[in-house]
Amino acid sequence: MEAMSHLVKAAGATTSTPTELKAQAAASSAGFAYGLAAIGPGIGIGYLVGKSVEAMARQPEAAGMVRTTMFLGIAFTEALALIGFVVFILIGL
Amino acid sequence: MLTAVVTRVGEAFTVHLSTVPPTTPPAQETTTTNANTTLSTDGVVAKDGTATATKDTAAPGPNPIVPELKEVVWGAGAFIVFALIMRYLAFPRLKRGMDARYSGIRADHEQADATRIAAKTDVAAYQSQLAAAKAEAAATVDVARQQLEAKRTERIAAANAEIATMRAAAAADNDAARAAVQGQIQGAVADVSSNAITLAVGKAPDTAVVSRVVDEVMSAGANR
Amino acid sequence: MLALDFPKINEILRWQDIFPSFNKIALIAVLAAVIGSGIFLLAGSKDSSVAPTGIRNLAEIIVEFIEESVVMQTMGKKGLKWTPFLLSLFVFIYLCNVPGIIPLFQMPATARIAIPLFLSLLVWIVFIGTGLKHQKGAYFGHLLWPPGVPIALKPLVGLIEFFSTIIVRPLSLTVRLFANMLAGHILLVTFALLSEAMFQAKTHQPFLNIGGILPFFMLVFLTGFEVLVGFLQAYIFAILTAVYIGTSIEGHGDEANEAHAH
Repeated sequence: MEAMSHLVKAAGATTSTPTELKAQAAASSAGFAYGLAAIGPGIGIGYLVGKSVEAMARQPEAAGMVRTTMFLGIAFTEALALIGFVVFILIGL
Repeated sequence: MLTAVVTRVGEAFTVHLSTVPPTTPPAQETTTTNANTTLSTDGVVAKDGTATATKDTAAPGPNPIVPELKEVVWGAGAFIVFALIMRYLAFPRLKRGMDARYSGIRADHEQADATRIAAKTDVAAYQSQLAAAKAEAAATVDVARQQLEAKRTERIAAANAEIATMRAAAAADNDAARAAVQGQIQGAVADVSSNAITLAVGKAPDTAVVSRVVDEVMSAGANR
Repeated sequence: MLALDFPKINEILRWQDIFPSFNKIALIAVLAAVIGSGIFLLAGSKDSSVAPTGIRNLAEIIVEFIEESVVMQTMGKKGLKWTPFLLSLFVFIYLCNVPGIIPLFQMPATARIAIPLFLSLLVWIVFIGTGLKHQKGAYFGHLLWPPGVPIALKPLVGLIEFFSTIIVRPLSLTVRLFANMLAGHILLVTFALLSEAMFQAKTHQPFLNIGGILPFFMLVFLTGFEVLVGFLQAYIFAILTAVYIGTSIEGHGDEANEAHAH
């Protein structure tokens, strides 16, 4: 999590050892890792919930079933973003 | 004891939280060689650890993704004990109570339904009885009305017959009286006529002829 | 430019032993088990014939929630015998999530990978065991090939299905719960530290100190959000377990969706 300090060091320091360089690269790429991983699931969950609301509005008597299925879909879609988050922690360390 | 060190390097502010007191200056300060070294230490703040979340942390350890055996063992033990308690003690007792109450409620519902159906049949029986009574009453009224009607027509017929007899008797009386009066008048007219003829002729006419002629003339006059 | 130097991640996640090999995570797990079984045992000892109130009402609401929203929606009537297991999972995970926002604890036990990993492996064993018990040897055939797959595609589909069922299922269960709670915890720590640092800033005096109210509001909002997330993750864990066990009981179901999702 000292990603920010690595970035600060990268901004201030003139010379760096290979380990520092590696840490700086990891720090800057960790943010990208999570940001990129969040794009797809973001679109996916938005689409999924929107469609579910549409279905619930069209058939309110099926709302319970639609909601359960929606949560299942969200869980599967969200897993991708969460894997990105785990990678973010792994790289950023 | 948690210590936050706020450091200013050029335009950059750095807040550093650490468990060690700031005896050794941060790395930035040692590498800062330009004129604003005096500024680099203007924000050293020592304060008490406020967040309990960071108070009694362990020493830096392995990667946070790696599971720690002691946590796995404690979590597993806690969950297994919990699941067994739920499965064999807590849940069956709770569920039995719930089922008993729900079946009681359902029985009550069924009883209420039965009562409602019984009440409905009672109401139907009452209504059929009511209809029968009404029909009976109507029939009785009809019969009575017919009897009264018959009696009335009977009475009217009797009265009419009486009236007819009375009228017939009156007509007979009337006729008899008229005949008597006519006979008297005829006799008188015959008397007068025979007297007149006697005066005129000198001898009494035959009474039979006179009365026949008078009769003819009177009836002719009446017929004219 | 204002740069915050965070505490190291292990500093906000790892805890000193209270006594040897027993740290805060273990304490929360044990407390969750004790409180959970306490609630349900106490509720079970209350008079069951009258309308439920208080703790019995709470326990019955949870039981009916599991029956209606988790079991009936995924397994149907024949899954009702799994209610105690799913109920234990739900209550235990929820009670492990909630300390993340309770003062003095402020650490969800599920933000460490140990408990999610163990629970996922348990679920994995349970659903494979159920499949073997209900379908005998045919289970592995059903596991690998959904009905109606052409012969030519069988190796590919079998590989994907094997991967998604045997490896991705427990992994995604673990990571979903763990990463959600960890992310929530890090967010809370971030905004707590940011607002504290801004309130106590010595430079740019008035602006930073007054502006510190903004991350503080965010912190309050996120605390409310974490209540929701804690509940939702417990619910999702329980419902996914129900889906997995349901497909093990009666053959094939949602694996195709899962293969696409991962």
